[in-house]
Amino acid sequence: MKIEFLNPFIVSAAEVLHKEVGTQVTRGQAALKKGLILSNDVTVLISLVGQVQGTVMFHMAFDTAKGLVSAILGQPFEQFDDLAQSGIAELANVIAGLSSTKLSSAGYASIISVPMLITGKGFHISTLNIDRISIPLITDAGEIGLDIALQENPDAPGEFSSYTSRAAELTA
Amino acid sequence: MNVNYLNPFIEAAAEVLQVEVGASITRGPIALHRSPYTARDVTVTLSLIGRVEGMVLYGLSTDTALQLVSTMMGEPIDELDELAQSGIAELGNVMTGRASIKLAQAGYDCDISTPTIILGCGTRISTLSLQRLALPLQTQYGSIEIHLALREGASRPTPAAAIQTSAG
Repeated sequence: MKIEFLNPFIVSAAEVLHKEVGTQVTRGQAALKKGLILSNDVTVLISLVGQVQGTVMFHMAFDTAKGLVSAILGQPFEQFDDLAQSGIAELANVIAGLSSTKLSSAGYASIISVPMLITGKGFHISTLNIDRISIPLITDAGEIGLDIALQENPDAPGEFSSYTSRAAELTA
Repeated sequence: MNVNYLNPFIEAAAEVLQVEVGASITRGPIALHRSPYTARDVTVTLSLIGRVEGMVLYGLSTDTALQLVSTMMGEPIDELDELAQSGIAELGNVMTGRASIKLAQAGYDCDISTPTIILGCGTRISTLSLQRLALPLQTQYGSIEIHLALREGASRPTPAAAIQTSAG
C-alpha cells in the first residue's frame, strides 16, 4: 500500500476529532498487516471507490464510542443506542470525507460509500488481497483503531459527475 | 426502497450462480427490515456508489461457502482459508458487478467497491438509516441471503469541485 494514502486519514481524523469532540489525538505505532482483522465492540466501515479504492475501518470499544458521541452531542450516553450509532457512523463519515478530499488534492480522486456499522467483538474481517495499515489513534475518550486498506486504481476516471451520461451510453 | 433495485440483483445472482457453479435458484419470500442484520457464518459486503448508493450483503453458512468454492475451483475445499475466502468474495464481486450493469441499463449508474468479508455468526451489521430488503435464494448448496440497503444517490460535488472549495 502507498504510504501517501495514510497521512490524509491521520490528519483528517485529528482535525475532525479536535473540532467535533475537542480532543487531542496522539498517534500510536503504524503497522503493515495482512490477514484477518479481529473486531472490537464497534467497527465503522467505509469504502472508497475511484483512483484510490478499498476500505477504511474505525474500531473502538463501546466506552470510547459512547464517550465520543457524548462529547459531540453534548449529552451523556449510557447506551450505545440508535442515536449514538448514527453519531459514530457520521463521525467516521466526516473523517473519511475529509480524507477523500485531501486524497483528491494529492491526485487520487475518489468518492466514499455510506458507512456501515458492525457491532460485536471478536469477529473476523478480511480485506482480502488488499494490504492494510493499522494505526492506533489515542483520544481523551479512548483508543480508535484506524485500519486503512487501499490500493491505487489508475483506470478510474478523475471525476465522478458523469453517472447520467454513462447511463445514457449504456442504454443507447 | 425503490423496488426497481431488486430485480437486477436477483437476475445477476441467478445468472452468475448458474455459470459459476451450475446452481439453479429458487427465490424465498422477500422481507423488509429496519433492524440490524445479524450475520450468518460468512458475510460478503460491497458498497454501491452513484445514482444508487448503499450496501449489498451476501450471507451464507460456512458449509454452503465451502461447497460453492469447491465447485468453482473443481477440487474439494474443506476449510475456509484465504483461498476459499477469496473465492467467495469474488463470487459476491461478480454478482454485484453484473447487477450494477443491469442497474445502469435501468438508468441507475453506479460503481461498486472492493469486497470485504466478515466471518463470525451473530455479529450485527447496521445499515443505519437505510432500510434493508432481504431476499433468500435457495440453491442445491444451501441458502444464500442477499440483503440490499440502497437508496437514490445524493448529488455529490465532484472531487475537483471539492478541491476548489477547500482551496477557496
